[in-house]
Amino acid sequence: MRPERWIYKLPLRIRSLFDRQKADQELDDELRDHVERKTQQYIAAGMNPQEARRAALLEMGGLEKRKEECRDARQVTWLQDLLQDIRYGLRILRKSPGFTSIAILTLALGIGANTAIFSVVQGVLLAPLPYSQPDRLVLVWQYNLTLKHPISVSYPDFLDWQREARSFQQMAAYDSQDRNLTAPGTPEHLNGEEISSGFLSMLGIKPILGREFSPDEDKQGGAPVVLISNRLWRNRFAGSIAVLGKSVTLDGVDYTISGVLPADLRLLGDDADVYTPIGQGDPLIYGDRTIHPVLCVARLKPRVSIAQSDAEMSAIQEHQDQLYPSADRGLGASVKPLKHEFVADVSGTLLLLLGAVGIVLLIACANVANLLLARSAARTREFAIRSALGASGARIVRQLLAESVLLSLAGGTLGLLLAKWGVRPVLAALPGSLPRSENIGVNLSVLLFALLASVAVGILFGLAPALQSSQTDLQASLKAGGRGATSPHHRTQSSLVIVQVALTLVLLVGAGLLFRTIRRLWEVNPGFDARHLIAFNVGLSPSANKTVAGMRVAYQQLIERIRNIPGVKAAELTILFPLSEHQNIGPFWVGSQEPPSSALAPRALYYWTGPDYLRTMEIPLLQGRYFTAADTASSQPVVLIDTALAQAYFPDKDPVGQAMTIPHWGPVRIIGVVGHVRHWGLDERDAYTQNQIYASLNQLAGDWAPLFYRRLTVVVSTPLDAAAVMPAIKAAVYGASGDQTIYGVQVIQQSLAQSLSSQRFPMILLGVFAGLALLLASIGIYGVISYSVVQRVHEIGIRMALGAERRDVFRMVIGQGLRLALAGVAIGAAAALILARRLSSFSHLLYGVGAGDPITFMAISAVLIGVAILACYIPARRAMKVDPMVALRYE
Amino acid sequence: MSKPSDLVQGTLDLLLLKILALEPLNGFAISLRLKQVSGDVLQVSDGSLYPALHKLEQEGWISAEWKTTENNRRAKYYSLTRPGRRHLEKEADNWGRLAAAISHVVKLKET
Repeated sequence: MRPERWIYKLPLRIRSLFDRQKADQELDDELRDHVERKTQQYIAAGMNPQEARRAALLEMGGLEKRKEECRDARQVTWLQDLLQDIRYGLRILRKSPGFTSIAILTLALGIGANTAIFSVVQGVLLAPLPYSQPDRLVLVWQYNLTLKHPISVSYPDFLDWQREARSFQQMAAYDSQDRNLTAPGTPEHLNGEEISSGFLSMLGIKPILGREFSPDEDKQGGAPVVLISNRLWRNRFAGSIAVLGKSVTLDGVDYTISGVLPADLRLLGDDADVYTPIGQGDPLIYGDRTIHPVLCVARLKPRVSIAQSDAEMSAIQEHQDQLYPSADRGLGASVKPLKHEFVADVSGTLLLLLGAVGIVLLIACANVANLLLARSAARTREFAIRSALGASGARIVRQLLAESVLLSLAGGTLGLLLAKWGVRPVLAALPGSLPRSENIGVNLSVLLFALLASVAVGILFGLAPALQSSQTDLQASLKAGGRGATSPHHRTQSSLVIVQVALTLVLLVGAGLLFRTIRRLWEVNPGFDARHLIAFNVGLSPSANKTVAGMRVAYQQLIERIRNIPGVKAAELTILFPLSEHQNIGPFWVGSQEPPSSALAPRALYYWTGPDYLRTMEIPLLQGRYFTAADTASSQPVVLIDTALAQAYFPDKDPVGQAMTIPHWGPVRIIGVVGHVRHWGLDERDAYTQNQIYASLNQLAGDWAPLFYRRLTVVVSTPLDAAAVMPAIKAAVYGASGDQTIYGVQVIQQSLAQSLSSQRFPMILLGVFAGLALLLASIGIYGVISYSVVQRVHEIGIRMALGAERRDVFRMVIGQGLRLALAGVAIGAAAALILARRLSSFSHLLYGVGAGDPITFMAISAVLIGVAILACYIPARRAMKVDPMVALRYE
Repeated sequence: MSKPSDLVQGTLDLLLLKILALEPLNGFAISLRLKQVSGDVLQVSDGSLYPALHKLEQEGWISAEWKTTENNRRAKYYSLTRPGRRHLEKEADNWGRLAAAISHVVKLKET
């Protein structure tokens, strides 16, 4: 289309739309003028004026018809009709404010909830990671082929990969590290990260001051440099530009600041304050091929697929297996998209919630459709008159759809506001935290979603009533009562109610199964006495003696000071604590026969603890003995094992007294068996290994001690309230030298509750949605039954006149509602069974409850039927009170 | 009974464009001119004239303007636009080709 034509066309279109009256007036003038001239012409030719005019008009062939043809030439009638429909719809909606506000509120709840959940899904699952070209970023894992589990990477292997892999533009390593900052300013525990040089530029992140590490700094013996967070820069250096070249003291070592990072940077979701070169990390950890501390992040080269890189990495790792059989045999490698690793845990739950909230919207739609049906029954005469006047069926459908879309857009707007203001408080109030939750908010895609959802919903709930209204029987409706037209309405309404009940049952079952899961989990014994425990982390004062013996003494004194606090029953040190999301996994083997490769050895969780830990935690001793003060660095190395390890590796002999080997330590003797502890959360669903080994910190080899002593957890058993005893504990910790850090205080009872968050979060939301659905469905049942009672007043009157008891009428109405509810429950139960099976197979949300748990299904069906009967009660009472005389006379 | 004017789709458009290419005219004058040029061969009713004019106007081939006529009446005058002129040339060419082809076919000797 040439643009030049539009110079002429556009003004005409605009005029047709917005100045229609003038355009019509001119059209009228033009045609009249023509007829007049023609008349004149005929008069001049000798006709009498009347005949002349008639002839002229005849030649035109009907003035109005021609006008309509000319108007059609404008090609904007559809738009005009739409505007007219909207105006008319607004007028109709304004005329019945009660109906309009109920419908809008219902829709606002439905669309609002959907928009809110969608904004969470969008922010967490759909939005790209905040790095440059994020879809090219991957995580490369090592993979334990025996345990079939991806594991972090050993740093020497990473260096080899980095040298040999061709699939990647760049590979970088990354590890989190606790840090104790002691200067400048007051001592503070910081989250630290050790990163490869080039890691930040790979992600597309530039320091706002200074520079990233150079490759020369990223190796042993490099200059000690550190990148600091924006927060640290502002708090400790007042945001001064002169910060570069100054130093901070971390764990007793001075680091020179080489750069400051942008504000609100969350590297792979972590919120760290100090970043140091990983190449300078402790060689005990980063120099050992059998220790797997680092995450390997890489950027794919253009046009290299994940599958290709995965194949290459597997080949490289296979080569490693041959080069270093004792460490690497039994290891593979796998490449996964970075984002997937971030959100894989929650994606199932979020999609489940999106589905659930979609069901709520469907139920809301059914309610509004029912309202519309009832209304359209009342408007039958209006439609009959309109179609008698020439409106086509399609025209009436369009007009009704315009009304319903107007409703849904109003509901959608309100819902959007609900979502915008509701999401954050709700997320904050819910237990547990979502990854990437800082991304959640109302943005363009959320707006688009709300708009699309509104329009779709408007058409969805408007279509059935509209179609039915357009098909009413003209003759019947125009006759006085118009009762003939109501029966198809009623059938549709009943099926909508059945659908509502079925969908509600599905939601209730979902919430019920999760509720039962949580009940079950609460009954699970965590393996220790969680009731009176407080745990917190301490860092060692840099002024303490740096020798291992010195550190031991310092910690021993610390623990003694805490034990002396009134109200403290027991206290002990440990490096690992259950439910803390920390883990310390290492290989072991029974006897002294070393397996061919470290990767082939079984794995266990290692708890290095003070000798009194097991007693403090009240982990029951089943066989043998606890540690004593006599187990020291100079006595025979001993361990305790848990029942899981005992059953798996000593199935038919007494494990006490048996020999085991622990790499980096040596042969040890088992002195006791204790109960299994639920380290990974009460449902143990992410358990990489169930085996647990306890060893005494007093026997820890000297070279490992500084590493372990950097950050220890103190567990305190006290019958007192945490708030009451913590000040004294803090005072006791600070007492040593005033520069010791204490952080991460947790009351174990609360942590236990929090560990259920992966089930509680969806349960609460599902419960809310199910409650909403129940409310909407009961309103639906109530609406339909009371509508039908009104319709049947005449019939009820006749029944009573013929001798029916009030009781019978009551029973009849209740029975009608009950039949709908039963049908809905039957359909819903079947659907819920199928869905629950599906869900439990992919999301691991259920624990200790079958997907078809009969108690849940029966209880919920009973609740639903009870609610249905309640909803029928008021209309049934009304039906009972029908006065046969009045009802009959009314006719 | 077949109406000769309906024989070829778009003929009326072509005629109207051609008439307006000569000079701007109002609707009544166009109807007179149509009768004049085509005689009784093409009977264009007044009824089909105005929708056709309005369609051409909406398509941007012709534009309209209200003017006062000789005997002091206001009338809507149509004139050809620049794109309309190009359109006319193209359509006239098409018509020529079509007419030539058809007359060629019609004149074929039967064997």
